[in-house]
Amino acid sequence: MLAGSLEFPDAPPARHDAAWTPETQIANMLELCSAQMESALQDSDHAVEALIQAFSTVAESARTLQSISAQLPPEVRAAITQALDKQLETLALQIGSAVVSFQFYDKLTQRLGHVRYSLSSLAQFVCDRAQSCEQDQWRRMLNALRRLYRTEEERRIFQMMTEGLSVDLEPPPPVRTGEVELF
Amino acid sequence: MAAASQTILAVDDSASMRQMVRYTLEGAGYKVLQASDGVEALELAKHGVADLVLTDVNMPRMDGIELVRELRALSTYKFVPMLVLTTESGQETKMRGKQAGATGWIVKPFNPDQLLATIARVL
Repeated sequence: MLAGSLEFPDAPPARHDAAWTPETQIANMLELCSAQMESALQDSDHAVEALIQAFSTVAESARTLQSISAQLPPEVRAAITQALDKQLETLALQIGSAVVSFQFYDKLTQRLGHVRYSLSSLAQFVCDRAQSCEQDQWRRMLNALRRLYRTEEERRIFQMMTEGLSVDLEPPPPVRTGEVELF
Repeated sequence: MAAASQTILAVDDSASMRQMVRYTLEGAGYKVLQASDGVEALELAKHGVADLVLTDVNMPRMDGIELVRELRALSTYKFVPMLVLTTESGQETKMRGKQAGATGWIVKPFNPDQLLATIARVL
């Protein structure tokens, strides 16, 4: 926990606290952002869990339909096969897309976890004035954060920011799935 | 369709990822054992041999690369294919996985058909 608390314009004037410094205010602001992110993530976790449960039920039903269709007597199947197969194929395609899309939530959780860790690291860093006045220490901290990144997207954004480029200017690269390398 | 006896040990700390992997593998006829980290997976592996291990990298208690290394040290898992399924795409981590004994590396998000094709190829 960092010293002091955040001050708001419409709040009663804060008592003169010896621990009050611009650095502790920045640090508390960063911790606030991190806490908001964590709270939003926890809310989403419950919603996504329910969504995945619903998806699993629909997907299982689609599989059952497929197996029922395969067991139909040939004469019945012949009469409806074209329409049925087309519907089942569409369902299978949509389910496949949903499987890929759901994985982005996992990726989002991981990336936001890294952002939260970065905010907390920065909060502690700025409170140490001796450290935060040294350019070399900033470089070290940035390197430590860079090592945290796992995905190509995170590394790309980090590189662009450290090179002074705006991330908004560049459209994100198209989503690639399942890049495979066998050793 | 997979042979009826083929079992895959799927390891991931994310419940939603485990669900997506299980759904995909069971649909292709595999039996799926699940673990939420390396320690749990190692415990499961000691009680029976899976035909393939599919593991994430970043997990609490024991990560996927350490898991692969520990499994390779067991005589029963010396030749079992082990695929890493992760958001990690850096060469350095990939090399660590290779040195630990991983058979292959798949970057998330996986495409169900592609995952099944890769598994069929290494089994």
